Amino acid sequence: MELQGEFVFDGSREEVWELVRDPEVLSSALPGTQSLNQVSESEYEGQMTMRVGPVSGVFAGKVVVSDEVPPESYTLAVEGRGAPGFAKGTGHVQLVDQGDGTTLMKYEGDVQIGGKLASVGQRMLETVSKSMTRQGLETLNQALQARKTAEAEGREVEYTPPSETEFAMSVARDLAGEVFSPQHRTVWVVVAVAIVSVAIGFWLGRRK
Amino acid sequence: MTDAQKTGKYVGQRVTRNEDPRLLTGQALFVDDVDLPDMLHAAFLRSDYAHARVRSIDVSAARTRPGVVAVYTAEDMGDFWRPGPLIVPPPSKVEGIVFHARTQIPMVKDKARHIGDPLAVVIAESRYIAEDALEDIIVDYEPLEAVVDLEKALEPDAPLVYDDLDSNLAAHVIQEKGNYEAAREQADVVIKRRIVIDRGAAAALENRGVVAAWDAKSQQLTVWDTTQAPIPIRNGIAAMLGLSEHQVRVIAPFIGGGFGPKIMMDQPEEVLVPWAAVKLNRPVKWIEDRRENFIGTTQERGQIHDAEIAVTRDGRILGLRDVFLHDTGAYDPYGLTVPLNTQSHALSAYDVPNYYTEFRVVFTNKMIVTPVRGAGRPQGIFVMERMLDLAAKELGMDRTEIRRRNYIPPDAFPYRHVVIDQAFAELIFDSGDYEPALDKAMTMIGYHHFLKEEQPRLRAEGRHVGLGIVSFVETTGVGPYEGARVTVESSGKVSVVTGVGTQGQGHFTSFAQVVADQLGVDVRDVRVVTGDTAQFHWGTGTFASRGAVVAGNAVNCAASNVRTKVLKLASKVLNAPEEELELADGQVRVADIPEQAISLGELAVLANPLRGAVEPGTEPGLESTDYFGPKTCATAFGVVAMVVEVDPETMLVEIQRLVIAHDCGTVLNPMIVDGQIHGGLSLGIGNSFYEQLVYDENGQLLNASFMDYLLPRSTDMPPLIEIGHLETPSPLNPMGSKGVGEAGALPVPAAFAQAVEDALADYGIEILETPLSPNRLFEIVQAARGADE
Repeated sequence: MELQGEFVFDGSREEVWELVRDPEVLSSALPGTQSLNQVSESEYEGQMTMRVGPVSGVFAGKVVVSDEVPPESYTLAVEGRGAPGFAKGTGHVQLVDQGDGTTLMKYEGDVQIGGKLASVGQRMLETVSKSMTRQGLETLNQALQARKTAEAEGREVEYTPPSETEFAMSVARDLAGEVFSPQHRTVWVVVAVAIVSVAIGFWLGRRK
Repeated sequence: MTDAQKTGKYVGQRVTRNEDPRLLTGQALFVDDVDLPDMLHAAFLRSDYAHARVRSIDVSAARTRPGVVAVYTAEDMGDFWRPGPLIVPPPSKVEGIVFHARTQIPMVKDKARHIGDPLAVVIAESRYIAEDALEDIIVDYEPLEAVVDLEKALEPDAPLVYDDLDSNLAAHVIQEKGNYEAAREQADVVIKRRIVIDRGAAAALENRGVVAAWDAKSQQLTVWDTTQAPIPIRNGIAAMLGLSEHQVRVIAPFIGGGFGPKIMMDQPEEVLVPWAAVKLNRPVKWIEDRRENFIGTTQERGQIHDAEIAVTRDGRILGLRDVFLHDTGAYDPYGLTVPLNTQSHALSAYDVPNYYTEFRVVFTNKMIVTPVRGAGRPQGIFVMERMLDLAAKELGMDRTEIRRRNYIPPDAFPYRHVVIDQAFAELIFDSGDYEPALDKAMTMIGYHHFLKEEQPRLRAEGRHVGLGIVSFVETTGVGPYEGARVTVESSGKVSVVTGVGTQGQGHFTSFAQVVADQLGVDVRDVRVVTGDTAQFHWGTGTFASRGAVVAGNAVNCAASNVRTKVLKLASKVLNAPEEELELADGQVRVADIPEQAISLGELAVLANPLRGAVEPGTEPGLESTDYFGPKTCATAFGVVAMVVEVDPETMLVEIQRLVIAHDCGTVLNPMIVDGQIHGGLSLGIGNSFYEQLVYDENGQLLNASFMDYLLPRSTDMPPLIEIGHLETPSPLNPMGSKGVGEAGALPVPAAFAQAVEDALADYGIEILETPLSPNRLFEIVQAARGADE
């Protein structure tokens, strides 16, 4: 399954790159993340709880980062497996300076989904993944704004990401048919999003 | 029809079903109702990958979970691990046949070959614990590229489902009648098309289930199993466990639908549950859930045909050439039954002098393909009927006329089709009279009225209505044989036991009707037992529309023997010649002197005396066991017609009318036959527009739930199904019966395609695939529009 999409951050490319260096911010952008561990220079392992319609369970994921070109691009190879099934994919993330103080994130990749997640969760996958992508990226952008405000005012960053419940409620709302803004109409698959996002976190964790 | 039936009260009547009071009041036993003390529960770990090497399976954590009694993998089975039987070997009569047998295995040892392939089984105190423990098992997979596409599977660089084979070719068969190439030279019109038929599920209401209990003190194993073939299963389990066949009792109780997959023998669960029950010396139960049914129970259809028909200007078929690929999935335990049926049914009801048919069976990383109600026949019918529609269009001929001109004429029976069919014998149609059925269906649907008046009027209103009318044949009642034992008990009631199992076919009534007429008793006084190997242990099972034909005639033979015994004994007791006696109202009486009578019960007591001497060479009791094996298939026939309306905005299709003129020989019970036809038609409607299993390029099944796999609902069925019965008795059995179990499923996709094409005539589409869906229909219409522009 092919995946691609775009998201505009209200910040410079360096700021976004900096943001996605912060694993705590990233893992909070996707509630359900249980652990992140670096196992080698470019390899990370983590666990996350997933729920897609009737299918839920713990996923164990592995991420390998390669081809880093700061602050422009990087490639991820992700693999996750658990009782609900498995996901395996590669993704390429690119940050483009738009010259107006905003940064365009472009992502594309290919993912295979298998097991119960594919066979029973199929009809929910697209909506749930769209919803999670939208929320994950919006949360990141809000974290970025909070960080910028704090910097400008010279105080501690005060930002509380949405709780797992709020996040789940939002997914449910989207599933119930709330529309997405056109810029988020991307065919993302939830696991890929989750793992890719967690992966960004792993990758950042190592830069700290 | 036999003499007793001609004069009897029951055969041919709409007798309400003997089994229904029990079914309707919850007094019928199903496998999941079996609840035994100390019973354990099994859950299976199934592969998430369609194709993967299994490097290791770590079950240590699962074994330590509280409540888990045992966890087994292939390794733990030791010598008990062995591939299952080749249920149907390839027919030896076909020359040059290639067949690679790869039968189903109990649990994966080296490679998982489809999603759902069993890897391990957990036995625990409850199903909840067993399922939780599945999550404790760690499997180290090496994912391999999956073989999914039928054509790519045969390309030289395709990954191999079986590493020891040179390719994914499972079988290759060529059969010929006459000389197609020569016939083609003579043809005025030759039409060639590619036709694609996709997969569906059997989707029985009741999933599979097995309960096994080992009694160590009596050394007896009892297995309750949702099987269509209790006796072969018993023999298989006994052989596998090294027990005598008489130590194993298989009970196939009431079953909520079979439809084919439950004929499969020695499936992993069926072998492992009894094995574990003996090993643990505790009863073990496994009930399949719906998702497991989608990935663990066999499926069918899935063929790609390159068909060519050669016809004369006046619509006579000179020949048919059909070369097709058949998807067998990951294993081929059921041999070639399905593609052979396709080969024989592509000829359908027509006098086709020249036929070239060739198929390749292909291994893929998908669920195993075995017969599902229809068993290859709908594919053959779809191909021939579509080709005839195209030919009629090309010739400017009425679609019913081209069929009429090619029907096998009534005086040509028995008609030799020359090719070898699934019964391993030459395909010979025993009997038939096709034109009256066509006329009847045309009258019922109002064919000419619809085309001349109704359709033009509705079209003028901007409505898209169309008519479809197609023929079909069904080879039914294959051998080898079935048996039955009929006993008059001292109460005067009659007991009938037979080896076949029952999955809703009404055997408790149809068989009782046959016996009641033979012995002159009330149909409610005939108690039928099916599917219990302790009561009858010879036979094969319920499949291939053979219950009424093969088991029905065995019951009839045994009842007829009992009748002979009754008459012989009564003649002595009543001091009257046999030919003056009649059996009625549970008595034997002298026809002219009704008061000179003896009840069957009293006669049964006399036939089994407690004292005195019996005559040498006689058998005790009023009982007989007999068997029936038909030489070849009894061929049923029918014509289906439907009127549909298509909404061009949504591409939803509404079936407004559905009629069938059907001939299954002597009808034992028209109400039961109607029910069978209704069920078959509903599957046919599913195969036309709803039921499609969607596999992705990695062999993942994407719609393994009833949220996504669509069955036709009651609201998708036409408001009324109109059935016309015709009776051309089969000369192959004393009752003249033919099977009907699969009939309805065969013609519907072809009729539906024709009707939709007709409804959308202004778009100029050609439908060369089944099943359709609203979105697929939209794509076909768009493609046709694009081609025009």
